[in-house]
Amino acid sequence: MRLEISGLTKRFGDHVVLDRVDLSMRDVKSLVIVGPSGGGKTTLLRILAGLERPEAGRVHINDHELHFREEYLREYRKRVGMVFQAYNLFPHLTALENITLPLVRVHGVPAAKAREEALALLERFDLAEHAYKKPAALSGGQKQRIAISRAVAIKPEFLLLDEPTSALDPEYTAEVLDLIEELHEEEMRLMLVTHEMGFAKMAADRMLFIGDGGILAQGTPEEVFEHRDDVRVRQFFEKVLKY
Amino acid sequence: MKDRLKRCFIINEDNPVLTRGARTVNIILVLLLLTGLFWFGFSRLNYPFYWDTIWKYRVSFFSGFKLTILISLFSLALSLAIGLVSGLAQSLPFVPFRVLSRVYVEGIRGTPLLVQILIFFYVIANALGVNNRFIVGIVIMSIFSGAYISEIIRSGVESIGESQLETARSLGFTRGQTYRYIIFPQVISRILPPLAGQFASLIKDSSLLSIIAIKEFTMAAREVNANTFSTLESYIPLAVGYLLLTLPVSALTKYLERKYSYAS
Ligand SMILES: Nc1ncnc2c1ncn2[C@@H]1O[C@H](COP(=O)(O)OP(=O)(O)OP(=O)(O)O)[C@@H](O)[C@H]1O
Ligand SMILES: [Mg+2]
Repeated sequence: MRLEISGLTKRFGDHVVLDRVDLSMRDVKSLVIVGPSGGGKTTLLRILAGLERPEAGRVHINDHELHFREEYLREYRKRVGMVFQAYNLFPHLTALENITLPLVRVHGVPAAKAREEALALLERFDLAEHAYKKPAALSGGQKQRIAISRAVAIKPEFLLLDEPTSALDPEYTAEVLDLIEELHEEEMRLMLVTHEMGFAKMAADRMLFIGDGGILAQGTPEEVFEHRDDVRVRQFFEKVLKY
Repeated sequence: MKDRLKRCFIINEDNPVLTRGARTVNIILVLLLLTGLFWFGFSRLNYPFYWDTIWKYRVSFFSGFKLTILISLFSLALSLAIGLVSGLAQSLPFVPFRVLSRVYVEGIRGTPLLVQILIFFYVIANALGVNNRFIVGIVIMSIFSGAYISEIIRSGVESIGESQLETARSLGFTRGQTYRYIIFPQVISRILPPLAGQFASLIKDSSLLSIIAIKEFTMAAREVNANTFSTLESYIPLAVGYLLLTLPVSALTKYLERKYSYAS
């Protein structure tokens, strides 16, 4: 995966969240984004998902440039899988319907085929027994795995995940990370915001440190962890790696 | 003994649910009290009741009652359509539609129904040359009730969390698809109880149509009263008749509220 960003600026009112960010990465398999709270990780991911429009700047992903017009973005979003921190499953639909609805309505897959594909996915991720349950009847870990299945079902070009385990009880974190790891091994391209440093080290081949309106460090996870010239990066890792 | 009384009449943390028997006792007690109160009132009034004169007018009552039911049902259907259009217009991209809908809702909700009926009947219907009072009545009640239904629908749509709309967007749904597959299925169960409540109001409010001489239930009672000078005998059946209509709707509201309070 190729990711080229230049002059990317995003403001909320007077608050500049991303300030002329430049980035160039090639052959990314999985990119992990870390950084302090409020630093702009979610904002960057949302721009890459086509959900947020920057004030300025250009974004190229693989062989296409993002045009920040609704008409373009809607088509673009169909090719991108997005996973939210709070799962965001539709509460009135069963697990299975959550997966098939976008397949059928957005991607025009015939209902029977969508169902078959969704069931196969659920089967693969050990979720088959929950296919006909509504989200309210599922654990956080199950909900997040179903949300990931929904994002994967559309066969996206890449998968964006915003702190997929942050809302989970610790006992459910592993099952979700295992699933992401499995996708990673199958060559699914990933961009992931997470505070799970152990997982980041294992699954990421590139890492970005976002804070104070820009990229404070980038490289392989080792390089970023060891990037101690910047005091903000150093302090952050001292805090998160303390326990 | 004191304990038994408490358990029969008081709901609190120690006694969270009443037995069926206790509930019945409470209802009977209240009804008895009310009956006593009315009886006392009427006996002081020294009012001679002539129910037999009223009985002669039963056909007139009954046809008024039927007309009220008909007007209410047609108005319900039409006001649902108006409310839906107006409620959804408030989130249309084209701003004049939003403004129009807002003006309609605030205008209707902020003015007395009496004034609306008079203006609509003597000005608008007159200018359009419509003089079928039955149709005029239905249109007025629908416009009136539609404004309230519009607000019910708007607040229902707004009760769907931003995160769901965003998820739909991220999956590539169009606006129309988001409404159809995500918003409506959830909103319908949420707005059924307030809609049923609005229907009960509609039934009662239609009584004002009597001022433009539509022979609905209230008009029937007014006419009987004018002919017989038996005021109470004319209006008591009216109260009973409206209760016969609104109590079942109110029970339906309660039922729907209970049914959907867990579902969301
Ligand atoms: N829609 C918005 N309106 C106004 N301000 C916003 C909005 N979204 C984000 N912000 C602000 O932008 C800044 C960056 O937010 P963002 O969510 O991108 O941070 P983050 O790095 O994801 O933080 P966290 O680790 O807490 O999730 C924050 O100060 C936040 O308050
Ligand atoms: Mg965030």
